[in-house]
Amino acid sequence: MFFALTDEQRALQETVRDYLADRFPTSAVREVYDDPAGSGIPDKLWQAFGEQGVLAVLVPEEADGLGLGLLDAAVVSKCLGVGVTPGPWLPTVVAGEALRLGGGGSAEATAWLQRIASGDAKIAFAPDLSLPVEYAGIADALVAVIDGGLALYEPASYSVTPVAVLDRTTRLGRVEITGRGLELDASVLPQVLARATVLTAADLVGIAREALTRTVQYDKDRVQFGKAVGSFQVLKHSLADLHIAVTMAEHAVLYAAHAVDTGRDDQELAVSVAKAKASDAARDVTAAMIQFHGGIGYTWEHDAHFFFKRAKRQEYAYGSAAEHRERIATLTIAA
Amino acid sequence: MDLSDSADDAAFRTELRAWLEAKLPSEWRSPDFWQHKTPDESFDLRREWEAQKARDGFAGIAWPKEFGGRGGTPSQKAIYDEEMARSDAPVTVNTLGLAFLGPTVMAIGTEEQKTEIIKPMLHNEVIWCQGFSEPGAGSDLAAISTRAVDAGDHWVVNGQKVWTTNALKADRMFGLVRTEPDSQRHRGLSMLLIDMHADGVDARPLKQMTGNEEFGEVFLTDVKVPKEAVLGEVGSGWNVAMLLLSFERGSSAMGQYTRFRAEWDAVAKVARENGRSKDPVIRQRLAQVLLDLEVLRMHSWHILTKVEQGEPLGFESSMTKLQWSETHQDLGEVYMDVVGYGGQEIPGLATADLDPLTELFLWTRSETIWGGSSQVQRNIVAEHVLGLPR
Repeated sequence: MFFALTDEQRALQETVRDYLADRFPTSAVREVYDDPAGSGIPDKLWQAFGEQGVLAVLVPEEADGLGLGLLDAAVVSKCLGVGVTPGPWLPTVVAGEALRLGGGGSAEATAWLQRIASGDAKIAFAPDLSLPVEYAGIADALVAVIDGGLALYEPASYSVTPVAVLDRTTRLGRVEITGRGLELDASVLPQVLARATVLTAADLVGIAREALTRTVQYDKDRVQFGKAVGSFQVLKHSLADLHIAVTMAEHAVLYAAHAVDTGRDDQELAVSVAKAKASDAARDVTAAMIQFHGGIGYTWEHDAHFFFKRAKRQEYAYGSAAEHRERIATLTIAA
Repeated sequence: MDLSDSADDAAFRTELRAWLEAKLPSEWRSPDFWQHKTPDESFDLRREWEAQKARDGFAGIAWPKEFGGRGGTPSQKAIYDEEMARSDAPVTVNTLGLAFLGPTVMAIGTEEQKTEIIKPMLHNEVIWCQGFSEPGAGSDLAAISTRAVDAGDHWVVNGQKVWTTNALKADRMFGLVRTEPDSQRHRGLSMLLIDMHADGVDARPLKQMTGNEEFGEVFLTDVKVPKEAVLGEVGSGWNVAMLLLSFERGSSAMGQYTRFRAEWDAVAKVARENGRSKDPVIRQRLAQVLLDLEVLRMHSWHILTKVEQGEPLGFESSMTKLQWSETHQDLGEVYMDVVGYGGQEIPGLATADLDPLTELFLWTRSETIWGGSSQVQRNIVAEHVLGLPR
């Protein structure tokens, strides 16, 4: 029995986390936030992703990738949640999975995978074109689901209308497909979406863990009524509950990633458990982050809204908690 | 990540399953069987079952062989808990002795105590109860007032213990009492090993809201206890109690997950049969409980991994307790929502008033109180895990 990250996975986690803490802290996120017309992904950050292999995690070795598993990718995704880090890492990695699983090993698919691994290509991923698509405006390509089909489109084959976005750690655009794309095997779509769901849950768990850590620290330091507010039982009990919720969500993401990696029988259930638990935990913790900071937590100058807004966006990405609970009900009650 | 059994563990699982197949009476698997047994009848059956397990080498799984245990690994203990639950084997009657007293005696008991206590406990020849809570000392355990006075060659004990599991069945009690006159709080306490058959011990049943009497209260009036019947040093009872309670931390929640999951299946079956499974609100709630049970299973893997890696568990057991007890309580609530007003109609048998799921609904109200209430557990998580100030 070994239900934990390996030493290699811990090392990967430390590398990404330390890089972001040193080179892209929330003060840098704030620059992206305050420049809503900008690309939403500083060149230096993306370049670092390429150099560190963070984009190559799931790309097969034949396409110059690291050929690792979803669990390793989830480790990276959680770090990006901790950092409320902007950029199209998640859609690019998910698009890569569509190319890897549904590209049939074609030369074109392999070429795109090579570009992903090196950081040369940013790719948008659109599971539902009725909704705005992350980073569609600056992407080098788009993988989209249309009428049950799955294809990769180059910019000449679609048009993008940028839209203003509530969570400015991303950028959104409305997409209209105007031409033909590189057809991929659409039967792999459930596998691709399962991976996207787990990576989104990992992002949420990162958001939740960091929001909780910062809130606990603040409530140890903040004095009111002559005492640290964290000594008041009403806050203690709430923070204890949130810590348990985040810890359980961390377990759930770890297991879901492993279940998908190894094709376990209960992988569908595990994915829905992870997304539902992570969505609820991140919503609750980021709301508590504002509340337990008091008035300062409601200001634009404080970082709390980065976490709160990103959690709210990811809460609905790839199925809300309620949708995943309904999925769990379908998988289990009838059985 | 590796969730598979090691070769040794897989062999153990196979052997245990074969043994259960051969030795566990098939009719025991039906809740109906137990429902028609009186509490005394079922206690006797379970007591003999436990003794049979010990005779066949399936008791004290992770306890050293020198103490009559099997000498297995923490993983094998988790497998054991899981397989016992999966096969609907009855739960132990020597709960508190096996969970708490046994490991404590092995850690700090004298050689005589190890010989005298461990093996008879594994074979259920001696049933133990725990004497901690008192009318004035519940969540605040240090408020204990039961006192033992030094009378030369023995102690004389006076006081009252309450919420004592198996009070009427127990042969002996490990009880926390005040051995230093006028001592305060955590000081001056000792862990006495008291003969429940001695003169002056009066154990009375305490009828719970389920109608059952698993708990009791114990009145101690001028009870003579031999001078050497103390576990650990005289006056160090608080530390002994904390050591004793710490053994809960290494225990796995695997058995609980397996049992609760079977109960969830039973609730879902009722919902399917009465049509409530089509109600979107009921579906959400059933799914939420299932989800919280699934993460409990993962949490038990996490704890087991830490135990096997030799990492300190700290106060994570408080998180485990909150997760299982509150989820179990939610399951009882969802069951009542599934049956609605119809849930008022109960079997009302001579031997058991309640069906298992209604009993679960009531019983789970006690689980968030005993063994450290949910509120105490939240204080522990906040102060000892998150480091928030007192």
